[in-house]
Amino acid sequence: MFNTVFPYLLSGISVGGQYALIAIGYTMVYGILRLINFAHGDVFMVAGIIMVYMVASGVVPLWLCIPLVLVLTAAIGFVIERVAYKPLRTAPRMSAMISAIGVSYTLQNLVLYITGGLNQIYPTIPWISGSVTIFGATTKMVTVITPVLTLVLVIALVFLINHTKIGMAMRAVSKDFETSQLMGININFVISATFVIGTFLAGVASLLYFTNYTTVIQTSGAMPGLKAFVAAVFGGIGSIPGAVVGAFIIGIAENIIKGLDIILFKAGLLKGPAGLATFSDAFTFALLIIILAVKPTGLFGEKTTDKV
Amino acid sequence: MSDHVLEISNLTMRFGGVVAVDNFSMSIDKGEIVALIGPNGAGKTTAFNAVTGVYTPTAGKIRLLGQDITGKRPDQITARGIARTFQNIRLFSGMTVFENVLTAHHLRRTSNLFSATFRLNAAEEKSQRADTEQLLRYIGLYDLKDEMATSLPYGKQRLLEIVRALATKPKLLLLDEPAAGMNPQETDELGSMIRRIRDEFQLTVFIIEHHMNLVMDISDRIYVIEFGKQIAEGVPEEIQNNPAVIAAYLGVDDE
Amino acid sequence: MSELQQPRKKPDRASILSVIIIAAVYIAVFIAEQIIPPTSMLFTVLKKGATYALVAVSMNLLNGFTGIFSLGQAGFMLIGAYVYGIFTIPVSARMDVYQYYSGGIVQFTVPVFVAMILAGLAAALFAFLIGLPVLRLKSDYLAIATLGFAEIIRALFQWDKLGPVTNGSNMLRLFPNFNDFNIRSASGEVTVYLSTLVPMLISGFCIALIVLLIRSTYGRALRAIKDDEIAAEAMGIRLASHKRTAFCVSSFFAGVGGAMLAMYQNTVQAKSFTTAMTYEILLIVVIGGIGSVTGSCLSSFLFVACSEWWLRFLDQKQVIGNFEVPLLRNGFRLVVFSIIIMIVVLFFRRGIMGTKELPDLFRRRRKTPNGGESA
Repeated sequence: MFNTVFPYLLSGISVGGQYALIAIGYTMVYGILRLINFAHGDVFMVAGIIMVYMVASGVVPLWLCIPLVLVLTAAIGFVIERVAYKPLRTAPRMSAMISAIGVSYTLQNLVLYITGGLNQIYPTIPWISGSVTIFGATTKMVTVITPVLTLVLVIALVFLINHTKIGMAMRAVSKDFETSQLMGININFVISATFVIGTFLAGVASLLYFTNYTTVIQTSGAMPGLKAFVAAVFGGIGSIPGAVVGAFIIGIAENIIKGLDIILFKAGLLKGPAGLATFSDAFTFALLIIILAVKPTGLFGEKTTDKV
Repeated sequence: MSDHVLEISNLTMRFGGVVAVDNFSMSIDKGEIVALIGPNGAGKTTAFNAVTGVYTPTAGKIRLLGQDITGKRPDQITARGIARTFQNIRLFSGMTVFENVLTAHHLRRTSNLFSATFRLNAAEEKSQRADTEQLLRYIGLYDLKDEMATSLPYGKQRLLEIVRALATKPKLLLLDEPAAGMNPQETDELGSMIRRIRDEFQLTVFIIEHHMNLVMDISDRIYVIEFGKQIAEGVPEEIQNNPAVIAAYLGVDDE
Repeated sequence: MSELQQPRKKPDRASILSVIIIAAVYIAVFIAEQIIPPTSMLFTVLKKGATYALVAVSMNLLNGFTGIFSLGQAGFMLIGAYVYGIFTIPVSARMDVYQYYSGGIVQFTVPVFVAMILAGLAAALFAFLIGLPVLRLKSDYLAIATLGFAEIIRALFQWDKLGPVTNGSNMLRLFPNFNDFNIRSASGEVTVYLSTLVPMLISGFCIALIVLLIRSTYGRALRAIKDDEIAAEAMGIRLASHKRTAFCVSSFFAGVGGAMLAMYQNTVQAKSFTTAMTYEILLIVVIGGIGSVTGSCLSSFLFVACSEWWLRFLDQKQVIGNFEVPLLRNGFRLVVFSIIIMIVVLFFRRGIMGTKELPDLFRRRRKTPNGGESA
């Protein structure tokens, strides 16, 4: 039984870590701007594409590509906020959300144009692409690295938020936008920093995710993006630990469901294939709707009350 | 059960640790104009919100014409005959003056989705429009009927909120600071108008107001609350001379 | 497309003009169909445009008139498309289509128009069920929840176990399409071309129904909810039931739109009803003007015309004299398109029409920015 489940569990933990890194970007941006940044998943995809082209150009050595991709991704996050969200800050929330959808559409079409809509093979990054065998299951090194790296980055981020000046400013802004502005906090700087951190982490996620899945196409970011957002909602939007826990739960659950036919079959609970793998994506959304119906603030979310 | 139009008994509203209204009781009889006054933050609007169903009371009972309406939804309470205006004006901003009032007739419709869509309710629609027109003429906003509601001056917006409330055909009208933002002349006119509509529409009026002249002028009785608790009740003369009220308003050692 | 009838008084000049314009468009389409070869891009655009116009208006009913930001449109279209396909594939063709499911279990057909209504009803039924948990949510949570539901529906229709009904992940095909509206002689020659006019009439009829609803007492109630939920509730409007009504009506027409899309595409496959499709429709609504039926219609046709026809040249190499225009190759059209959309979203937030409708264009300008219902 363990031998059947373990490989799925392992890749679930790995994907969960990658979702977690994306989810942090959603949850931080939502915490501060109350905006679902629908383009976040696409920035993650663009990071993958940049890596592909940078390595293919042959100009930059691979070891330098990695930091460059991260810096460029963060820069894209910064630019998107300045161009597409900042002008709409005082507009109704629907406008900003529509703008986010527009950015998502634009990024996808831009990549479609550049790549011609063909699957791009992600470059092999030595060591993390290598194989490793644990508990009898053979997998890529990246599967093992992801959860470790995720936890290290999350701890660093939590430290940043709790113990630095910019972190304090972020917390202040997410509690009360207007008051913190009155208190002399540079709102624009805080928001930009939030986007830069969020997209940087999405860049890291893209390195790990695409090393695992090996191809990138313009729609590659859509599903991971949505799932990461669901993870953020599940954990309680605005809460970083919540997003991480949510992401791991979703990553593991979806991978278990992918293998559910086989697992149930080997356990003798199923006589033939039931095609349950079809629901590996849908399950995430079912989870979302259940949590919204039962506890709309998520696992770790704070309760807010509306004034009449 | 008596013939009180509104009866609030032992109403308590608690938000977390804050007690906004504390064991408050009162009643209003048919045809009365009763005012609820008190310093800012005394819990007046909270009491209104509890009566109109925006909040569910933490404890206590609210009865309209003897029927328990505690905890009912706002639309159910409006359907039973309580209409209100809002302290911070809440007109339908995407609609004209005429449409604002017409929309308030939706509640009394007999048509359903199909008959309304296919215009089988033409007679009803016509009578609603006629009634809207009449109401607007009555309150003196007819000439402005095609203006956007939010483009009206402040005082007129308050009047519009009153007509819109009247269009739901209420028995009890709740006015939340109707004179706020009005100039002295408009305030004077408002006073006589409130009396007039009370008589003509056979209404009972419950009003929150800060303009003391207006309150003393039109009210039959006045309730005073401070920190959510009742500190006085009586006819205007009694309230004016009540030491507790004077203390609450002026502060004991102020000035 | 938007006959803004005003039943309670004599129609004014603006309304009459509007009706004349719409009638003229239909007549022009009819004539064009008889004289221009049916392969012309014009008809592709009109057919797809009519389909998208209906879906866009149905989305506008929610997002623009009721203030419910729903992103489930693709899911409801999917239901409509499948129901249409399932009930219209000729019995003789079922063995072919459902080849992995021994012909499927549905072994009868219903007339095309009945199937379209069933498509709408099925979508509305799903909307009713989905609405129970979802409509209580606030703006962006509602958006993401409806989007999630669309994804669940997409997975459900691909599920192998439902294959005997839905054909699993295989496509449905061989059902009647728009070309079957053409009138043929006994020898099979087309005598009267109606393959564009009929879809435009269906779409126009449905949109007219939505307009009638918007302009009824229910439409006013929905607009009141959009403007101020608390005030609407205080005026005795029951929020839950009105939102549910709007959601079901919108989904009904999205379902009919889905059936039309099936007819336009000739085939239906669940995996193509993605979130991207919903986004596209949302962008159409935004470009047309959130809260304008006329705007949604115009922008649907514009959107389709640009993406299928007018901007096609951007996808091909163009040489002017000896100069080869740079950048032009496959996909450039969509880039230009995206940029136009971003410009509209950022700088022309009111879209083409704002909240104005067709007759408002013929009326004297009013002091206020909002068109809505003018007297």
